[in-house]
Amino acid sequence: MSYALQTLWHEKARYAAGVGAVAFSAVLIVLQVGLLLGLFTLTSIPVDHTTADIWVGAQDVKSVDLGQGIATNLHLARLSEKPGLVGQPEVFLANFANMIRPDGGMERCFVLGSSLDPAAAGALDVLTADHRAALTMPNGVVVDESDLKRMNLKGVGDTAKINGVEVTVVGTVRGLRSLAAPWVLCSITTARKVLANFVHDDQTSYLLARAESPQRAAQIVKELRAEYPDMSVYTAADFSFNCRWYWLTRTKAGIAIGYAALLGLLVGAVITAQTLFSATMSSAKEFATLLALGVPRTRIYGMVMAQSWWVGVFGVAVSLPVVWGLAELAALGGAPVLLRWEVVAGAAAVTVSTALISGLFALRSVRRIEPMNLLR
Amino acid sequence: MSPYSATPVLRASGLHVSFGDGAARRAVLRDVSLDLFPGQLALLMGPSGSGKSTLLAVLSGLLAPDAGRVLVDDDGTAVDVWGLSDGGREKFRLRHTGFIFQGYNLFPALNAVQQLEIILKWGHRLGNGEARERADDMLNRLGLAAQKYKKPAQLSGGEKQRVAIGRALVKDPTFIYADEPTSALDWENGQKVIDLLRAAAHARQSSIFVVSHDERMRPYADVIYHLDDGILTVERNTVSLVPAGPSEVSR
Repeated sequence: MSYALQTLWHEKARYAAGVGAVAFSAVLIVLQVGLLLGLFTLTSIPVDHTTADIWVGAQDVKSVDLGQGIATNLHLARLSEKPGLVGQPEVFLANFANMIRPDGGMERCFVLGSSLDPAAAGALDVLTADHRAALTMPNGVVVDESDLKRMNLKGVGDTAKINGVEVTVVGTVRGLRSLAAPWVLCSITTARKVLANFVHDDQTSYLLARAESPQRAAQIVKELRAEYPDMSVYTAADFSFNCRWYWLTRTKAGIAIGYAALLGLLVGAVITAQTLFSATMSSAKEFATLLALGVPRTRIYGMVMAQSWWVGVFGVAVSLPVVWGLAELAALGGAPVLLRWEVVAGAAAVTVSTALISGLFALRSVRRIEPMNLLR
Repeated sequence: MSPYSATPVLRASGLHVSFGDGAARRAVLRDVSLDLFPGQLALLMGPSGSGKSTLLAVLSGLLAPDAGRVLVDDDGTAVDVWGLSDGGREKFRLRHTGFIFQGYNLFPALNAVQQLEIILKWGHRLGNGEARERADDMLNRLGLAAQKYKKPAQLSGGEKQRVAIGRALVKDPTFIYADEPTSALDWENGQKVIDLLRAAAHARQSSIFVVSHDERMRPYADVIYHLDDGILTVERNTVSLVPAGPSEVSR
């Protein structure tokens, strides 16, 4: 065990503040980014809850909620000419709509009309066989339980008007949390009625397809993009990411998180620097003795830097279970935290670097140590 | 018969040191000159504030004098300690100088062997194996075989000071400077410490310079200097005498 690590271990109480500060910074960064990513997964729900490999939409469509009507036959022809597709491409209707609630209030909602065939690429995975059977009823819709209150609906059997068409709630699901507007799931037939003014009969919002393999899907996307610049083609994974990225940058939420993370880092850095500084000063006599005996000052700098490294590493180690625990807690409270390994690794790198920078500041204390002070 | 060689390993001359500015300026060393010999235990006595520690610091290369020279033997060539660069002085101290301070200044987290090893590894760049071997050997010779893996908190005051002596001796220095090495110890332990230093001086031909106001040390010194108001006088010099005292007995 290195002298630095041994000292750290021996004086656990002294270094605990620094370790705690680093852990605090790491927890703050990972949780904030995780919460944000978790929040923005809501924007790609239609993509994430269907099983299509390929999404075709209007030109320059940035996010799934921004789709516009595209000529069904033209796009179907373009897509169908590509070998390697599995089954027939499907239409998928998706558009904002105005809802008049039972109490007369107005609410924006987002209508998703898809095939009710359980094997369809556009069939939402939250729908059960019962739901699908119920949705065959004209003007039947399914909504998420968490949105009932917002839409002032009591539950199954309640009615409301969407774009002037009276719809009936035939079922509720869980797990389709919404951000800007509640999701309203229905059959293509119902969607066509409700969205008649937005997506014409010969149009669709999206065309969905499955491919033989993810590699083939990527290949088809690449080819179609090159051949037809007037339409958007994505693999499902790309489209999902694009939706989230669009809203993340559009809302500038990333900047807010950046500031908060910076603040956390700053607090962590100051406490860590202070801890290392006072720890070094408390060993000033021992270090002064080494200097008197001719040990180069750089070795002592090295020891302080090694200590700051270990403070960083222990801080990150402490933060991991805390992050995990808090993420579970947040999820219970209805705020999903997306813990991506890239985010955790990034936060670890940033916080350990911050600890090292704090170490550099603490080196000032080493510069002050003079062996002459041992002689009175 | 002299217990030590007649050629000095250190020759200090015309040392002047003052502290303070303007009217508050106070001379701490006034034209101090002295020689240190290999195998000699020199004792510097004097009242508090007489400049004893300042003289030790100037001789050992820790504090620059206002005037004067400290010529030392650096592997056969005479160099002025205060003519060297800071780095050169640091290297000189590393090769030739051991220190024992009033406080033990041992790292609380390290055991006895590590307190010695750290000097050899960080200062002399020795490998783990050789550093461990030399540290082990030194602690054995200081009667600390059973205390090797104990940390300072588990050691008595006397044992701690012996570890501190081991740290000063482990590099086999030409000079050992000790500042009040017995002040925190009872006499039994203090005597052990003096014995060890004296044995080191005589056996290894190191030159030992001890600053103390402990009167009980007088019989153990080969030469006793007295510093008062910045002026150094030789109080007793046993150069021409057969050295007497406990160190002979303890051999």
